[in-house]
Amino acid sequence: MNKKTIILLLIVLVASVMRLWQLGGVPASPDWDEAALGYNAYSLLHTGKDEYGEVLPVILKSFGDYKPALYSYLAIPSILIFDLNTFSIRLPSAIFGILSVLATYFFVKELIYLKSKQNKDSNDSSIINHFSLLPLVAAFMLAISPWHIQFSRVAFEANVGMALNLFAATFFLMGLKKPLLLSLSALCLGLGLYAYQSEKVFVPLLFLVLVGVFFVQIRKVSRKFILFALLAGIIVSLPMLIAFVGDVGNTLGRAKGVSVFSSQSDSFKANTEKMLRDKQQGDLIGQLVDNRRVFYARQVVENYLSHWDINWLFLQGDIGRHHAPNMGLLYLIELPLVLVGFYALIFGAYPRRMKLLIFLWLFIAPVPASVTTGVPHAVRDLNVLPMFQVLIALGIVETFLWIKNSSVLSHKSFLYGRKVLYSSFIILYSLNFIYYLDEYFVQQNYFQSQDWQYGYAQAVAETADLAQDYKKIVVSNSGYMDQSYIFFLFYLKYPPEQYQKEMSFIGGGTSDRRIGKYEFRKVDWDKDKDEKTLVVGMPDETPETAITKSKIDFLDGTPAIEIVDGGK
Amino acid sequence: MESQRGRYGTSMKYKIILFCIVLIAAFFRFFQLGINPPSLTWDEVALGYNAYSLGLDGKDEFGQFLPTAFIESFGDYKPPMYAYLDIIPIKIFGLTDFAVRFPSAFFGTVTVFITYFLIKKIFFASKQNELYAIAGATVLALSPWHIMLSRAAFEANIATFFLVAGIWTFLCAIRGRKWLLLISVVLFASSLYTFNSSRIVAPILVGILVLVFHKTLLKMKKESIFSAILGVCLIAPLVPFMLSPQAKVRFQEVNIFTDPKLIENRNQQIINDNNSLPSRLIHNYRVIYGLAFLDHYFDHFNPSFLFTRGDINPKFSIQDTGQLYLIELPFLLLGMLFLFRKREGYWWIIPVWILIGIIPAGTARETPHALRIEAILPTYQIVIGYGVICFAGILRQAVRKSVIRNAFYALIVILLAGNVFYFQYEYYSHYPVRFSADWQYGYKESIAYIKDHQDEYSAIYDDSTLGRPYIYYLFYTKTDPREFRESSTVKRDVFGFVDVVSFDKFHFVKDMSTVKKDPKNLYVTSSEILPDKARELSVIKRLDGVSALRIYTY
Repeated sequence: MNKKTIILLLIVLVASVMRLWQLGGVPASPDWDEAALGYNAYSLLHTGKDEYGEVLPVILKSFGDYKPALYSYLAIPSILIFDLNTFSIRLPSAIFGILSVLATYFFVKELIYLKSKQNKDSNDSSIINHFSLLPLVAAFMLAISPWHIQFSRVAFEANVGMALNLFAATFFLMGLKKPLLLSLSALCLGLGLYAYQSEKVFVPLLFLVLVGVFFVQIRKVSRKFILFALLAGIIVSLPMLIAFVGDVGNTLGRAKGVSVFSSQSDSFKANTEKMLRDKQQGDLIGQLVDNRRVFYARQVVENYLSHWDINWLFLQGDIGRHHAPNMGLLYLIELPLVLVGFYALIFGAYPRRMKLLIFLWLFIAPVPASVTTGVPHAVRDLNVLPMFQVLIALGIVETFLWIKNSSVLSHKSFLYGRKVLYSSFIILYSLNFIYYLDEYFVQQNYFQSQDWQYGYAQAVAETADLAQDYKKIVVSNSGYMDQSYIFFLFYLKYPPEQYQKEMSFIGGGTSDRRIGKYEFRKVDWDKDKDEKTLVVGMPDETPETAITKSKIDFLDGTPAIEIVDGGK
Repeated sequence: MESQRGRYGTSMKYKIILFCIVLIAAFFRFFQLGINPPSLTWDEVALGYNAYSLGLDGKDEFGQFLPTAFIESFGDYKPPMYAYLDIIPIKIFGLTDFAVRFPSAFFGTVTVFITYFLIKKIFFASKQNELYAIAGATVLALSPWHIMLSRAAFEANIATFFLVAGIWTFLCAIRGRKWLLLISVVLFASSLYTFNSSRIVAPILVGILVLVFHKTLLKMKKESIFSAILGVCLIAPLVPFMLSPQAKVRFQEVNIFTDPKLIENRNQQIINDNNSLPSRLIHNYRVIYGLAFLDHYFDHFNPSFLFTRGDINPKFSIQDTGQLYLIELPFLLLGMLFLFRKREGYWWIIPVWILIGIIPAGTARETPHALRIEAILPTYQIVIGYGVICFAGILRQAVRKSVIRNAFYALIVILLAGNVFYFQYEYYSHYPVRFSADWQYGYKESIAYIKDHQDEYSAIYDDSTLGRPYIYYLFYTKTDPREFRESSTVKRDVFGFVDVVSFDKFHFVKDMSTVKKDPKNLYVTSSEILPDKARELSVIKRLDGVSALRIYTY
């Protein structure tokens, strides 16, 4: 084995440790989406149907958010081996995360060896040498990336989607030389559609970018391989297309729920008022510029740009589930490196197509998130990875080169200048990394257990112990206990065939439901107080005077769930 | 074209273009200046009235003779420069809204003019410096950020002028016209008397300029020594105030370092780490405060602030365009990249200027803040202009057919014109209506009524919560400051805040229920509900139709 292979293996080892260590315990609890994907996988494993009895679905209805189903299928083997638990449902994501690190290496490697005029021009072997470090550095950066680790350690479909894009692009680049691989690329692209909602926008864009940037090379590939690849892609995506078209109402319903075009934000209301004034005054120009469509266009642009906010990227992140506490999605020290990397991407002596591909990938990644509300959104923008890490790697290599060749630093008054610079850089990076380890593995569970919907593991177990003494168990599904039923199914490992038979909606809606003697709905204490009823709810849903059987706290000590006897 | 240009001179063609740019700048800054923004804020009125007072007897409203370090005003210790600059406009135009805003609009326009020469000086080494200068000055003339801040009595806008002019004259001195160094010192020192943020920005900027150019400065010994002496003399009056407790109180009010949550969070983290030594190292106070500072600092690069919404305070942004136009985004990026790529002349001044200009605002709680970082204008505009010219250069290389090139140029011009039109349209059609409350609309109109009827009543009581009514009464009744000082009752609290209780027959109360109900008195309130038996005489409505003030008697 040569040196590079050993280093690559070490990087993969680091990536694995970062993704597998304490996988079942940090973050403290699976959130509802994880639990839903996990239970549906369990259901598919035992019955071949999802929780609603749909046979081999490509889309899971779940909470009415119509999740693409791929993740649940991927979780089947690990559930078969490790049984249904937090670790087993997160394992596929972790594995795809580790594979992404490996893929980053090959992706960047393919890119820097692209033939280009500039490469021929610069025969400086030392530069070539440093460039050859790029794949390793980029892979390492992804291995320790807080953003990537965040979503590799939870059962989030987006992480698989991101990995598939990266595989697709890597196979595509390899496929330019070994055309059979183009079909693999098409396969990955097609599979991506089953992974995550954003992919339905991103995959077509990525396809266009790849074909656009490498049009000349593709034309040289023999027709039959291209046809074969296209066919593979179409066949793979066909079931999704059929499901999508066949159920367009529901899928669009979900899209509508999160899109900017249906939001009633304050700025939208302000715009409506302006429009009204224009109409009253018969102001035609006003009606043109204050038009709803102009407003939406501006909103989409604003959402898009929000994904380039320095604070969001480097210091704050968005909601608690999407980043380690007290930090952003990238290391703070990476800010100058990203900037240098971007500069190097534009002006550096790299293959032109490499530059174009990275630049366009960065450019299109936030597009799916731009038409949604709740931006910036670290999950919907996950496809931007590993391009940030490639920029950082470019930044590191370029800075390294600059320090090495700087004439200023060669001056004798800077005798140890280089060593000081290198070591302070390494020290700062390490400190930043240690800070992250502390925030992620130590502080996160304390500060963010509520974001991760902590408390159910204990609550379900204790409720199950008490269940035999009661006729009816009412579980709240309001506030942060929304969709609590899925946690009961998950932790009870409720037999799926039994659930599919027993479950019935109550109250006419599609969220309150009865499963055996469990009722999942809003707690109505005055009606529910009965000594044969057990109530599981948030602390403020039951009176303080009630007989509390058990209290479960979030990890920062604030009360989470109470189990209360309905009797006086 | 090349041959027409001398070493320092500007060809006739460019002179005409520059004249047009300044004309456009003046139009955007002066048109309807007294009407839109729809009303004077309390700070504007205070500056205007103090200028009026200084113009009459050289004393501020409370009788301080020729104040240098500050004007006491509401106890916020305003830097005095604006009031001094406003003396002449008020002498000419009288005590009017227009006159109060005149200095800001005037110096805003002059800033555009000076920016042209500044850009030429910065990129002195480039053949294209004339083009950069034209482009940069044009962008500044059209800038929504600069237009908004030039259209109200904002001290920051004058400070920006002093900084721009200061840097320009400094560079001129370095490039050979040595004695301009003295002017530069005067300008930089003036900025210290103009706006609080400049008291941090100007010294750091000057420090860096001196550091970088120390060799040149050492060569021009005579000028440097004189400038240093002049500088010390000019700053001296300010020093006692800067070291005083009042200055400290004002800083603590707005700064981020007094937030107890930061410390609570830190302590909890250390507890979670079992109080270990490494934990205390990485969660050390400097790190915590450093991160908090960066957080607020980086807020000023928020894309929504810069390109789509602007500052959340409607006084600084119409809320529908950013501090910059959206179309300028690609050119800002391009300009920044090429600035670092080409490294022409004193290019480094621009990034350094931006990074320093944001520092004071980074220590404050409300971020991003378009006013506190106005010191960085016109750097963005210079970079955008630079980006446009660089883009044209790329286009010339990449596209051979001039038809396509011209189509590109036309497209850019159309898009920019569209952005400008949108801003201007919203600014004159919807802006005053939507945000008259933010400009404290209502006082002028209520006082107009009172002026007509005050003889019928023996006293007038005002409890309005819109803020500091007394200064509006002084301003709009044109009360002689000498009379005001005689007849007023003034209270000062422990924090130094000033509360004018009454002057002449005007009384300012916090709670109207404590005031005697008397048909001989006139009452003004911002409350929605009038007391029993009150007889409503007039309702002052904001421009959006919501009532602001009610005038009544019994």
